[in-house]
Amino acid sequence: MKYYNKNTILKIMNKQFVEKVILKIKNLLPFLLLISCISCTDFIQVDPPLNTLISETVFKDAATVESAFANIYVKMRDQGMVSGSSGLGAMMGLYSDELDYYLNDINYSEIYQNHVSASNTIIYSWWSEAYKLIYAANDILKGVENSDALSAEDRDRFKGQALFVRGYMHSLLTSIFGDVPYITTTNYVENNKVSRTPAATVYNTIIADLTEAVELLKDSDSAVERVIPNKEVANALLARMYLYTENWELAEATATKLINTYTFESNIQKVFLKNSSGSIWQLKPDGVSNRNTSEANQFIIRFIPGQLYAMNNNLLDAFEPGDLRRTHWISNMTSSDGLVTLNYAHKYKALFNVEESMEYSIIFRLAEQYLIRSEARLHLGNIPGSQNDLNRIRNRAELPNTTAETQEELLSAILQERAVEFFTEHGHRWFDLKRMGRAKSVLEPIKLNWSDKNLLLPIPEKELEFNSNLKPQNTGY
Amino acid sequence: MKNNSIVKGRCFLCAIFYLFISLFYANTIHAKASLNTSFTTVFTLQESLVTGRITDKNGMPVPDVTIRNPRKQMGAISDFEGNFKIQANPKDTLVFSALGFVTQTIVVYEKKNILVLLVEDVTQLNEIVLNAGYYTVKEKERTGNIAKLSAETIEKQPVNNPLAAMQGHLSGVNIVQNTAVPGGGYNIEIRGKNFINGGTEPLYVVDGVPFGSESLASVSISVGINGANISPLNAMNPNDIESVEVLKDADATAIYGSRAANGVVLITTKKGKAGKTKFNVNMSSTLSTVSHFLDLMNTQQYLEARMEGIINDGYGTLFENPSYDRIWPDVKNWDQNRYTNWQKELIGGTAYRNKMQLSVSGGSEQTQFLINGAYQNETTVFPGDSKYGKASMHSNINHQSKDNRFKINFATIYSREKNNLPRTDLTSEAYTIEPNAPAIFDENGDLNWENNTFDNPYALLEEDYQVQINTLIGNAAISYEIVPDLLFKTNLGFTTYDLDSYRILPSSARNPRFGFTPIDNSSLTTNSSARQSWIVEPQLHWKQDWNTLDLNILLGTTFQNQTTEQVVINGRGFPNNDLIRNISAAKSLQILEDSDSNYKYQAFFGRINLNLKSKYILNLTGRRDGSSRFGPAKQFGNFGAVGLAWIFSEESLLKNSSFLSFGKFRASLGTTGSDNIGDYQFLDSYKVSGNNYNGITVVEPSGIFNPLFGWEVNKKLEVALELGLFEDRLLLNSVWYQNRSSNQLIGIPLAATTGFGSLTGNFDATVENTGLEIDLTTRNIQRKHFSWNTNFNITVPKNRLVKFPELETSTFANRLIIGEPLSIVHLYNALGVDATTGMYEFQDYNEDGNITSLYDKQIIEDFSPKFYGGLANTFTYKNLSLNMFFQFKKQKGYNSFRAQSVTGHRSNGSVALLDRWKQIGDTAPVMLATASLNPNFFNAFSYQRFSNAAVSDASFIRLRNISLTYNFSNPKKNRMDASVYLQGQNLLTITSYDGPDPEQSSHSILPPLRQITLGLQLSF
Repeated sequence: MKYYNKNTILKIMNKQFVEKVILKIKNLLPFLLLISCISCTDFIQVDPPLNTLISETVFKDAATVESAFANIYVKMRDQGMVSGSSGLGAMMGLYSDELDYYLNDINYSEIYQNHVSASNTIIYSWWSEAYKLIYAANDILKGVENSDALSAEDRDRFKGQALFVRGYMHSLLTSIFGDVPYITTTNYVENNKVSRTPAATVYNTIIADLTEAVELLKDSDSAVERVIPNKEVANALLARMYLYTENWELAEATATKLINTYTFESNIQKVFLKNSSGSIWQLKPDGVSNRNTSEANQFIIRFIPGQLYAMNNNLLDAFEPGDLRRTHWISNMTSSDGLVTLNYAHKYKALFNVEESMEYSIIFRLAEQYLIRSEARLHLGNIPGSQNDLNRIRNRAELPNTTAETQEELLSAILQERAVEFFTEHGHRWFDLKRMGRAKSVLEPIKLNWSDKNLLLPIPEKELEFNSNLKPQNTGY
Repeated sequence: MKNNSIVKGRCFLCAIFYLFISLFYANTIHAKASLNTSFTTVFTLQESLVTGRITDKNGMPVPDVTIRNPRKQMGAISDFEGNFKIQANPKDTLVFSALGFVTQTIVVYEKKNILVLLVEDVTQLNEIVLNAGYYTVKEKERTGNIAKLSAETIEKQPVNNPLAAMQGHLSGVNIVQNTAVPGGGYNIEIRGKNFINGGTEPLYVVDGVPFGSESLASVSISVGINGANISPLNAMNPNDIESVEVLKDADATAIYGSRAANGVVLITTKKGKAGKTKFNVNMSSTLSTVSHFLDLMNTQQYLEARMEGIINDGYGTLFENPSYDRIWPDVKNWDQNRYTNWQKELIGGTAYRNKMQLSVSGGSEQTQFLINGAYQNETTVFPGDSKYGKASMHSNINHQSKDNRFKINFATIYSREKNNLPRTDLTSEAYTIEPNAPAIFDENGDLNWENNTFDNPYALLEEDYQVQINTLIGNAAISYEIVPDLLFKTNLGFTTYDLDSYRILPSSARNPRFGFTPIDNSSLTTNSSARQSWIVEPQLHWKQDWNTLDLNILLGTTFQNQTTEQVVINGRGFPNNDLIRNISAAKSLQILEDSDSNYKYQAFFGRINLNLKSKYILNLTGRRDGSSRFGPAKQFGNFGAVGLAWIFSEESLLKNSSFLSFGKFRASLGTTGSDNIGDYQFLDSYKVSGNNYNGITVVEPSGIFNPLFGWEVNKKLEVALELGLFEDRLLLNSVWYQNRSSNQLIGIPLAATTGFGSLTGNFDATVENTGLEIDLTTRNIQRKHFSWNTNFNITVPKNRLVKFPELETSTFANRLIIGEPLSIVHLYNALGVDATTGMYEFQDYNEDGNITSLYDKQIIEDFSPKFYGGLANTFTYKNLSLNMFFQFKKQKGYNSFRAQSVTGHRSNGSVALLDRWKQIGDTAPVMLATASLNPNFFNAFSYQRFSNAAVSDASFIRLRNISLTYNFSNPKKNRMDASVYLQGQNLLTITSYDGPDPEQSSHSILPPLRQITLGLQLSF
């Protein structure tokens, strides 16, 4: 190779030089070839990150599908409507006549004062958390259906659970918001533009989903804690849905199935323990944080002032003298100066730092099935049957048999019994008042801002802004 | 997956092999070439030792001048007295060059002692060389838009982060400090917001190595103190920086292709200079305080409004009922006459910063070095013993072979930061705590909880937050001239960034009434994160001069790999609070995050530059990029630009013009892109969440599959006119630009019914940024003892959404409007306070009797700046120099209606809130007092927060920096150079804005501090 210094180059004809340079570049061609042989597509391939599973992989193994369900139950337990710190139990207790609110967070005040605005963050979290779970359920349904790796038995079990979750979340949504979209696909394009489904159709679809779930799910296994939904759980919700849609025959039949399967917990002090024989489905606390059930943490008043909620006097007055639930499920706290005494729901007792949790958050329990059947039988004209079921609940609380005899009396007695049995549980009180058409007569005299629009809560305004197909807003908001 | 890793390995091996081969090949040529040279030097004239002395026009000796004898490819350096010695023969031409002087050439002839007079370089344009990343370009001949900030300007500012030093100095670059808490981050926008939901972070390149600027802080640890945004650039000591170049237009940025849509920031560190070994010591102390306090209510005003609010809300009757005492302890139980100035208590301290820096530099003609060590320690304005410490070491070794053909530059930056802060910024507490709140400590010296009625702000100080960051940036640039004018060059770079942080929540930070013990209520959250990257960039540079035509060609390729890991662990339940920093003492552990990601990037790039008669210049650049961030079908993208410049002052007609010394017209057009969206976004995935249910690990859906996920395209167009008048004493640079970003890669917000908050995908929307940038530099007075220079820059940006298909039915329907900027907000139209009800009234546009966000937010306000810029004046008189820099910005921002609570709420507010409605017939700017217990009143107040009444002018003119330096150096004894400086930051702000600071309209972030620095610099 020749060496040229700058002066020489300037003397050489341009053309000649360029030729030489081209020659040099030819010498460099091996490099250039080398560059191109390192295929770029190869270099920029990356493995998926270690903390992430490709969706397909999740559905190749029953264990990972169970992990996907674990996500659903953790979310139900910790956030949203089911059992979290702003779950329906406390919120609808404030909204109806069970609880009083003692702080000044406006989101809670709005609920307590029946003056909920569409921008309320609690109702937005209910809405968005519910649809998150519905997506998760739908994605499992899709994944399980397309998976060849799972056994038929596993596939059925998972499909049944997913259908139950989907039905359950929609049932809570529709009872709060009325007409709501019923989401059955994971297609975000579709779900982003979805319209509202009339409440009646929502209930029908829930019933269809649950009926299928009951077919697919297995019976309860006595060796297993009732922390994962099984056939009985689907039936329990189904019975409630039949009650809500006033399908009395099926409500009675479905409740009967459960009553025949499980044993009624006769000891009032054991009802909320994890081994209670009357529990149908419960969510297990995480065992990591110091908290036990979120219910204990929400309701127990540890000192005054310091309380968030306390029980409303209307509710306290509803207990008949001698009712064991008044003594075992309610406690009170007095301020250090002795001036104030407040009552709180004490169904769950363990707050913190529990070595082994003895209490789980119960979602469905057998007592509800008795009262569902009692109400169904009443509507079917079976007065003694209705009274029997009602008395089963009353007797456990050491109350005498009911004296109600007429249809009207018995209906009131059932509503009354539900009030003292299910207080601060999952918004039962509110839903009962609403479906029996008693909300106005009961609440108008005692609640400041009561108006008819309050039967439904507003659709979160952010959702209406994102998806105009959800318009119009519920009346009055 | 297995296949992938094999492929990965192969690629890596290929790259290494390639490098090895190329170096080997280069070396063989080197050997041959040097053989040739030795032949040519055999026949030479008689050589002898030539000595001389170099002085400036005042007769002062000029040290450190490089004297080169081009024939011999060797040289010498003048000493402190300006003397030099060099071997030369009579026909040799010696070249004398030094920074700040015009390069001189002198033929030796028979002289044995040469006196050289160096003339100071007065034409600024001539010698300024700009770093354009892969190549350098003369300021005069550039075709693209490259804004430069030199060490001179950076050094005058007592700041921690290079971005802070840039604020206001560069046109088209809008930088806002996130928080004045030490170690925080900055927001930077170069030529506006290009992407609807994307970031505005530019690409940072430190000495040729891309430097990841994404924060690795964890939200679970530091969201309260620095918004979980820790700028990795804090690692850089601003004094290590030689220059910062910001590449703005297509011509300058297209060579960075897919990462350049938001511009490129090139940081070049200092290098050693040949000459005697030089020591430089720099010591400074800074005092910082909050520059502006709010005028808040006193106890009596506050309590009066509170009681009024309670009564207005209809709670007057409940006031005596002790069950509700938790709502109003301030009005009922606390001392009604107590007053504490909480601003003074919580953010009223003085922060001290001490900085010490020592550098050694020097070297020979062949090898130069620089080593710079710096240490600084900084406290905060908060109470407690928070502090931020940073130690950094920068070194640079530069070597070139005697024949100048082989060059290597090796630079490393290592820095270690340790930041101890309270977990929460106390600013918002300072503005809102009740003025009659009780004492901080009780009589035993313990935290006072006042019977569980007081959220003691000092409890936040118990919750320690600490972060330690280690940053290492190493790079080597190796080049070899294979044949004359054909240069092979490789950049090799490595960066590692480790962040370890923790936050503790001891049970002692909780009210003892809760009965918490360490075992049931103490927690520690730790975050260990690391990011590592390497880059290899082999390049060929070829240049050719034909008499009138210069040609430069550059070809190169990039291989880059970046891995990021993060593990966030929460431990709970410690036997006692002293063990709380030890995660192994925790009773239970929860892994909140255990993530890793890999980003790979490969590219080819090139540049062709044609320069005809130094008058007409054509610059073509291009890049083909592949990125692992995209779906299988869309990994590659092509980007390119063309730039043209016409130096019309070189035309014969204007060449001898008496006033026009320089004139250039330039234009550029091209495309860049962006892949700045995070890794793996295209995957349909489930992620481990760290929870478990009934012993089963939880996996949750984390992404929606989107295989069509591809590059964003950003088209840039720019035309500019550059003028130098009166021998370049006045330089005017005016630029008009238009950037259009399409195929927007954005997080499209989704309705909650989809189960996801947003989806990252391409959207066929177009955003346009246009603007005018004017830079004016004048040398007003140039006398022997006095000079006055001015720099002025202004940017008038405009942002506009050009296209958005089906906007009306999209989730953006209520956020964006075609033709309007991206930064608009929709607001209610505030009609003032109704004289009868005392409540704020709003226009009910759809007349449905309700004020709803959906229909009644019809007022549009825009928060993007209308114009911004800076004005710098430098005065020097003999040894004294004074620098004043004003920054200005015209913009709107949320005022205190947005941030403050309503009058009567249980939190303090500004005295302006006292001007409230009290009875029927009152006309007042503020509605009736409410204790936020009545949703009706509260709604009126919250609508006001989202109305045009909550927006006001937030323009400002700020004396961002002032610096006064006195140089003690004695020309007679110039071995020692000493100067003392006094610098001030944010000393004065002129604004009509009513909040804490107009720059960042927030009431919860520590506003920019006023800083005064006194320092001493010695060099010998």
